[in-house]
Amino acid sequence: MAEQAYTVVSDSEATGEEKSSSAFPEIAIGIDIGTSQCSVAVWKGSQVELLRNTRNQKLMRSYVTFKDETPSGGVTNQLAHDYEMLSGAAIFNMKRLIGRVDTDPVVHSSKTLPFLVQTLDIGVRPFIAALVNNMWRSTTPEEVLAIYLVELRAMAEVQLKRPVRNVVLTVPVAFSRFQLTRIERACAMAGLHVLRLMPEPTAVALLYAQQQQQSIQENMGSGSEKIALIFNMGAGYCDVAITATAGGVSQIKALAGSTLGGEDILQNMMHHLVPDMDSLFSSRGLNEIKAMGLLRVATQDAIHKLSFQASVQINVDLGNGTKVCKEVDREEFEKVNSKVFEKCEELITQCLQDAKAKVEDVNDVILVGGCSIIPKIRSVVLGICKTDMIYSGMNPLEAAVSGAALEGAVASGISDPFGNLDLLTIQATPLSIGVQADGNSFVPIIHRNTTMPARKESIFTTLHDNQSQALIIVYEGNEETVGKNHLLGYFKITGIPPAPKGVPEINVSMDIDASNVLRVFAGVMIPGTQHPATPFMEARMPTVDDGHGWCAEALYRTYGTTTDLVTLQKKI
Amino acid sequence: MAIAPSSSSLSFSAQFFSGPKLSAATPVSVSFRPSPRISAAYATAERATGSRIGNSQASLYEVLGIQMGATCQDVKSAYRRLARVLHPDVAASGGQGDEFMKIHAAYSTLSDPEKRADYDRNLFRLQRPASSSFAMSAAPASEASRFSGYTRRTWETDQCW
Repeated sequence: MAEQAYTVVSDSEATGEEKSSSAFPEIAIGIDIGTSQCSVAVWKGSQVELLRNTRNQKLMRSYVTFKDETPSGGVTNQLAHDYEMLSGAAIFNMKRLIGRVDTDPVVHSSKTLPFLVQTLDIGVRPFIAALVNNMWRSTTPEEVLAIYLVELRAMAEVQLKRPVRNVVLTVPVAFSRFQLTRIERACAMAGLHVLRLMPEPTAVALLYAQQQQQSIQENMGSGSEKIALIFNMGAGYCDVAITATAGGVSQIKALAGSTLGGEDILQNMMHHLVPDMDSLFSSRGLNEIKAMGLLRVATQDAIHKLSFQASVQINVDLGNGTKVCKEVDREEFEKVNSKVFEKCEELITQCLQDAKAKVEDVNDVILVGGCSIIPKIRSVVLGICKTDMIYSGMNPLEAAVSGAALEGAVASGISDPFGNLDLLTIQATPLSIGVQADGNSFVPIIHRNTTMPARKESIFTTLHDNQSQALIIVYEGNEETVGKNHLLGYFKITGIPPAPKGVPEINVSMDIDASNVLRVFAGVMIPGTQHPATPFMEARMPTVDDGHGWCAEALYRTYGTTTDLVTLQKKI
Repeated sequence: MAIAPSSSSLSFSAQFFSGPKLSAATPVSVSFRPSPRISAAYATAERATGSRIGNSQASLYEVLGIQMGATCQDVKSAYRRLARVLHPDVAASGGQGDEFMKIHAAYSTLSDPEKRADYDRNLFRLQRPASSSFAMSAAPASEASRFSGYTRRTWETDQCW
C-alpha cells in the first residue's frame, strides 16, 4: 500500500468539470487534513462513517517520514515512539507551511520544527528538507501532502472496495486563494479530484444543519431559524463562523480566521521553558534536531496534562548540558499564552459584528478542534457568548470531517429517502478581494462575508494626466494596506485615451462563480458612453505561482506610480 | 443611495461580458416579468429611461414572490425556499448562479429594516406618479431604470397597500 508513488494529474484534468452521471454516482469522500491529525469519512447509506486505518485509528497523525527510497506517511506507518518523528526524517505541519513564502512570519516560526526550514527572506518558497541518511533531502509541502493523500486514498479504496477519486476537503478560513490552489495541486498529484474545498467551520455548520433537521423530524425541534456560533481551533488554525440554519439550509453569515493554534501555544511554552532556544538550536546539527524534538515532545505532553490538572512537572534533558526542570501551573500557562487567547476573543467579536448578530441571538455555541479541550479556550468562548452551555451533539475531533462527508454526498447528487441529505450550504467569502489603489491602499471590491456566488464592480481613474496604462494588482485579505494581504495576480490595461487625471473611468469587476472560481474583468470606459475604449480583459485568479512574494516589489521598482489607480466616487 | 451595495450587482455592465456564462442564464424564475399587457404608463417609463437590457425588471418583492407587507420571517423563508431551487449547488438548478444572486440581492435589501424602508420609499415615490411623465423624467435615470419594472400585478398590490 505504501509503495504507491504519487502520480501527477494535470491541474486542468483534476479541477475540470465532472463527467456526468454514470448509473451509480461515486460518493465523494470527506477529508479533514489537520495540521496535526487527519481523518476520512464517507456517507454510508444512512449516516456518515469515519474510516479506520489498519491500526483501527480514526484519527491519523499528519506526517511523512523520508527513509531510504520510499517515503511513508502517518496513515500506515507505525511509529515506535514520538521521538522517531523528531529524528529529522519526518516532515509535519505541512498545513502551516503550504503556499507561504520565506518572508512569512509563520514560516519563520516553523524553524523550531525538527527538520530543515531554510529561508532566504526574499519572498520565494522556503527550502524544506528531511534528514535522510545524514543528508538533507529537499521536498515541498505540496509533495508531502500528496504522499500523505495517496496513502489516505489507498486506505479508503481498500475499505470502500471501489476506486476513490472525488473528495471534499476542509480548509482553514484564513487560507488565501493561492493556498487553496496549492491544496488542489497536492490533490491532483495524488490523483484526487476536488469537488469542494470547505472552510472548516462551514463543514461543522452543515453537520449542525443536518442535526437540526433530524430533531425536527423527531418532533423535538421547533423548526424556526437557529443561529449557531462555531469556534474551531486546531493545531494550526483558528476559525469562527456564525450560521443561520433552518429547513436544512445553512446560511453562513460571517467567517473569521487566523493562523493561530496549538502550534503557537506550543512554541510560546517552549520559549518560556528555554528562553535562548533560537540561538541554542540555530546550527541545526544532529544534536540540535534531537534537542528540539525532545523539548517539543515534553512541552506538548505538559500542555495536554494541563487541560486536566492544575500543574505539571517538566523534566527533560536536552543534552549539551541544557536541562529543563520546572513546575508549570495553569495560571502560568495562561499568562504565557495570553496573546493567543486575546486573539481568539478578537476573532469571535469580529465575527459576531460582521454577522450583525448579538450574543443574545446565538442559540448554540459549538466548540470543535483539538484546542477546544483547553479550559481557558472554553472559558473565553463561553464568556463572550454569555452562556455556560456548549452544544453537546458533536464530537469535537470528528465534526469537520463528518460535515465534509455530508457535503461530499450532497455534491455527488446522492439522495436519502429520509431527507437526511436534503441540505444546502450558502457560503460566504472569508476574505475581501480587491485591488491596489490610492497609493498602497487595499480597496476591496468583493468584501469579506459576501454571499457566494457574487459579482461586484468598482470604478477607478488615473493618477496622472495622459496616463496611458494602469496596473490592476489584485489582492485578497482583510488588512488595509496591500503589503499585508495576499497577492493573487496582476495585469496591465493599456490604451487609455489621453485625458486629464481623474477623467478616464477604469471599471474593475469581480465575479466568484458557483465553483468558487474568481474572475477579474477590467477595462477603460469612455465617459458619457457605454462603450469600452479597448476590449475588456478577463483574468482567472490567482495567476501567481510559487515564489510570488517579490512580485509586488519588482512591479513597484519597474513602474513606480506611473500606472497607479485612484478610486473614483461612484456617480449617484 | 442607500441600496447601492445590493444593487451594484444589478448594474453590472453585463453587455460587455455576454459570453456563454451569462447568456446561459436566461431568467426562468417566478419573478420574470410576464409581459402580456403593459400599461401605457409603463411603456412610457421604460422608453424614458432608455432601454436597459434588464433582468432587473421585477420589484424585489416579486423576485422573492412575496407581498409588500410580508414580515421579516416571510422574507427569510421565501429566500430559503428559493435558494433550495435556484442555488447553483442544487443539481437541478443547472444555473451559474445569476438567479441566486438576484434573490440574494432582494433578500439582503428586504431583510435589513433600514434598507427595506429606503427601498419601499423609493418604490412608493416612483409608483404613485407613474402616469405622470413629469415625475418620471425628473427622477435620475439610473434610479428610474432600477425601479422602472413594475408589472401590473405589483401595481395593483401597491394600490391596496
